[in-house]
Amino acid sequence: MRWLGLVLLGPALWAVVFSLVYGLHGTLCATASGPEDLGRAARLALVGAWLLGIAAFLPVFALIPERSGQAANLPRIGLWIGLVATLFTLFPVTVTTSC
Amino acid sequence: MSDTSLTPRTGTIAPNPPRRALALHRELQSVWANDRGLWGQMTAVSHTTLGLRFMATAIIFFAIGGILSMLIRAQLASHQGAFLDTELYNQIFTMHGSIMMFLFAIPMLEGLAIWLLPKMLGTRDMAFPRLTALGYWCYLFGGLIMLTALLFGVAPRDGWFMYTPLSSAAYSPGINADVWLLGVTFVEISAIAAAVEITVTILRQRAPGMKLTQMPLFAWYMLGTSAMMLVGFPPLIAGSVLLEIERAFDWPFFDPARGGDPLLWQHLFWLFGHPEVYIIFLPAAGVMSMMIPVLCRTTILGYGAIVAAILGLVFLSFGLWVHHMFTVGIPHMALAFFSAASVLVAVPTAVQVFAWIGTMWKGSPQLHLPMYHILGFFLTFVMGGLTGVMLAIVPFNWQAHDTAFVTAHLHYVLIGGFVFPMMAAATYWMPLITGRRRVKGLGEAAFWVILIGFHGTFFIMHLTGLMGMPRRIDVYPDNPEWVWLNLTSSIFSFVLTIGFAMFVLDLILQATLGKRESRNPWRAPTFDWAMPIPSPNYNFASLPTARHLDRDADEVILPLARGEGILPGAPNGRRELLVTRVGDAQPDHVGVLPGNTALPLALSASIGVFVLLMLASLYALAGIALVPVAVLIWVWVRGMAPGDNLASVAVTPGLRLPVHHHARASLGQSGLVAFLVANGTLFASLLFGLAFVSVVTPGPEAPISTFTPRTTAIALGLVTLAVGLASACVAWSGRHGAAMLALLLNLGALVVLVWMAATQLDDPTRHARDALRAVMAGYVGLHLLVAAGMAAFALDQFRRGEITVDVTGAWPALRLWQRYTSVTTLVTIGVLTAQAVMS
Amino acid sequence: MRGGVLIAPVALIGCSGPLSTLQPGGATATEIAWLWWVMLAGAVALTMMMVVLIAMAFGAPRDTGARVWTHGMGLAFSLVVLSATLGAGLWVGERILPRDDGAVEVRARAFQWGWRFTHTDSDGNPVETDGLLHIPAGQPVDVLITSEDVIHSFWVPRLAGKLDAIPGRTNRARISADAPGTYAGLCAEFCGLGHARMRFDVQAHDTWPPALPDESEAP
Repeated sequence: MRWLGLVLLGPALWAVVFSLVYGLHGTLCATASGPEDLGRAARLALVGAWLLGIAAFLPVFALIPERSGQAANLPRIGLWIGLVATLFTLFPVTVTTSC
Repeated sequence: MSDTSLTPRTGTIAPNPPRRALALHRELQSVWANDRGLWGQMTAVSHTTLGLRFMATAIIFFAIGGILSMLIRAQLASHQGAFLDTELYNQIFTMHGSIMMFLFAIPMLEGLAIWLLPKMLGTRDMAFPRLTALGYWCYLFGGLIMLTALLFGVAPRDGWFMYTPLSSAAYSPGINADVWLLGVTFVEISAIAAAVEITVTILRQRAPGMKLTQMPLFAWYMLGTSAMMLVGFPPLIAGSVLLEIERAFDWPFFDPARGGDPLLWQHLFWLFGHPEVYIIFLPAAGVMSMMIPVLCRTTILGYGAIVAAILGLVFLSFGLWVHHMFTVGIPHMALAFFSAASVLVAVPTAVQVFAWIGTMWKGSPQLHLPMYHILGFFLTFVMGGLTGVMLAIVPFNWQAHDTAFVTAHLHYVLIGGFVFPMMAAATYWMPLITGRRRVKGLGEAAFWVILIGFHGTFFIMHLTGLMGMPRRIDVYPDNPEWVWLNLTSSIFSFVLTIGFAMFVLDLILQATLGKRESRNPWRAPTFDWAMPIPSPNYNFASLPTARHLDRDADEVILPLARGEGILPGAPNGRRELLVTRVGDAQPDHVGVLPGNTALPLALSASIGVFVLLMLASLYALAGIALVPVAVLIWVWVRGMAPGDNLASVAVTPGLRLPVHHHARASLGQSGLVAFLVANGTLFASLLFGLAFVSVVTPGPEAPISTFTPRTTAIALGLVTLAVGLASACVAWSGRHGAAMLALLLNLGALVVLVWMAATQLDDPTRHARDALRAVMAGYVGLHLLVAAGMAAFALDQFRRGEITVDVTGAWPALRLWQRYTSVTTLVTIGVLTAQAVMS
Repeated sequence: MRGGVLIAPVALIGCSGPLSTLQPGGATATEIAWLWWVMLAGAVALTMMMVVLIAMAFGAPRDTGARVWTHGMGLAFSLVVLSATLGAGLWVGERILPRDDGAVEVRARAFQWGWRFTHTDSDGNPVETDGLLHIPAGQPVDVLITSEDVIHSFWVPRLAGKLDAIPGRTNRARISADAPGTYAGLCAEFCGLGHARMRFDVQAHDTWPPALPDESEAP
């Protein structure tokens, strides 16, 4: 049971970071008006939230030891899935027009 | 309870002495068989019976949905339309989509899992047989309500996605939309029920010693599917309930004039709708992962990678729902998040597809009939996946969205990714279902007709869409350039239908005329074939263990049939199976399952009466109709009360296990946890709705609240105190007095809540925010009521002496529910208070 | 002109038409059409590759490593292809977004079942037209879209992608027509009984604001 929980940890962390950044973006844009870009502060907040989300993975990596065998190593693979997903799905905070 | 600790490691479980297989069969049959005749079908709870019935019913709905699609194609074959008027056409395409999604695909995969999982995991039934039956009847009745509406010309007509305001009372008067909302929600009871029991069955009923990492891949796929169903369906249920309340009582959740938001519906719908696509795909991928290695005479390549891919899919598929909403005017950055997630989800899909192809390289593929359909899957699904990636690209989506291009794409993924694998699975497992061999020739012909018909219909439809043809139009008099495209699709669609008819005919011929098949015809190594064919209701005369894993099923069949496994026969005259622990699958206790009963039929019929009264807008009567529902639930739970024989059971020589009444974590307890996960998602959906209309919705601000701060504060304080105390009581002790106290505290909290709602809450019809607050109060009230009911039930069990020092009765369930109720109550109060303070 | 390069092969295989996204008449639609042709080429190549891989599987068993398939093909290969596709999509998306650059603004109001458009004449007064949207040719135009009742969607396939008309919200779509002329438009979101007939036209003018005959003005 504990093992299963650890397996879910990485993707769940992605889900949390994804929701938080998406929610933050929605809230920031709800206060803006028109098609213009949000200000520098808002952009920094979004990028910061993204980087914090990535950083949150690092201590968890230290928590979960590597084990031999792909299936047995699933918690660590799960962390990689979460980390890659966080990098891949949220990198637009750095490049796209915000609102 | 004490002898649980004596459980040896699985390796040391001694085999039972062999017995006469026929005697064992008779003994088990007398306990596990359905009752005779038609009544026996009404009372059946067996997973074999119900799984097959789920699938057969789903195929009938597939045929009905297919006939509707023929009408659509006939109408579109010429630019002036054939014979349908727009109203009827709208009903037909709405019903085609709704039937294929809710009455075919989902029940089909539920039926497959219900039928196959216990066999594959080495157990005798699903965890909650009566729930299986309840799910089936709810599915059937809900489906029949929708079909009846179609016959009377009052079927849903607002599209299978039911976008509001089009589906609101103002623009869709009449009961058409209510039929969808109530009918589909009724059917979804079966989805939640199936998700709960699939989860529990996989986690708690694996053959002893079968670690999670040793499970057949289908079990991993179904574990992922059921987890997704637990989290994916509640947003749809929440949305449907809200929209039905809006239509019935004018609470403006989605009305932009009163602070509601049509986009809230879209978010809730697609929060379900996109995971739904993967809920449909995962079981299909699961059967692929089982069949391909067997048909290639090898083992699966990359087991761990596939499990990781499932893990990735389960989560990522919840991060792409907005790609159905790329054209609603969302900022580009948010679109980019979801575009990236939609693209990324193709990676785990690719991992699986390449693992299957690698498996085929590793082995030597044999061109049996299932392999034809597997090849059909590969070709079709790869193309559908590629157009899916195209649609994930935002600018292209802006052009292609809501055109025939999407129609083509979704049929490529759904027929390619679900129907072809299901056809492969049907031809693969038919011997186990019927005990017969197929009639040669027709199956191959059916495959080719289906393949040609399918691609002839849908390949060209991509172009139709790019040439500008939108979805859901019935005529196109000004666009002669679309005629040849549509005519081609229409002609081939009839070829496709003929192919499906041939396929079903082939199954019928096999079931009726086929010669006897020998056991394990595919020489598969899994437990599902380690039994006589056709499979008996009890599956295994004695249950397999981990030492039977990874051996050719042929070597396992006879020893198990002779009772050399564990828990042989039914010596106590009741349905027994082994319950194991989640992680290592060590034997934990013996679960005693209920036998045949008409209770599920009665309960779903009484829910059906409630649904029909709601449809008729007889809301007061509908409220009264909930009384029999509550009574039947009480009777249902009484059925779980311990019988006379609570002695521990000898499962093998030297190992006695307690029955589940003595167990700390029974199947029921695990099921409640799974249900609370779904329930918690529903609660989160409501919170999301409240946050959405408060922050994102541009509509008019909510008027000033009229509550008296002091009175409200006192009332909320009282409720908080009451639920806190109730939680403390049930945590503190399992005594008669504690149950009484919990009953009174919950009832007290409920009374205060109702009084506050009546006097302090703002009129829910004036603004979406107030409506959502009222709904949340209602949610809390309902949970307090159920908690009170459970406390009363426990009290009754004390009176009957059913809760003792080592028999837990309903107590753990009450404790869990009370804790959940307290937490959601406190969160609700906290959120509402914070909102009040901030405004 | 880039549009012309596209139209030649397109007309040959019968992809042209008043509503065809493959016969673009403006910068935005042209960019998206290019995106489509590139993705189509990639999809064809990938489909062929898969067919070949599967065909090659039939035969004697081979000693094949798992990682080549799951990590090499499944992870690395697909991630590279997908990242490139996503990058192209975001790049095109950024280029065709509405910007705060003083583009001409017109308004579109959808209702069951028709369209009412507003542009500004040379005196700065709003001019309402039914079912016919006037825009200047050769420059970007922002359409402010909303709805009076249910959700509709504003789509002129030859000029740009679609954008929904949602009651209670105003969405901004950027369209542009390379040449003067009439471009067909339609409602792309299912909106009830009149959905199939909810068409409109966009008229692109060389001179802006256009001198319109009186009868096209709404009372």
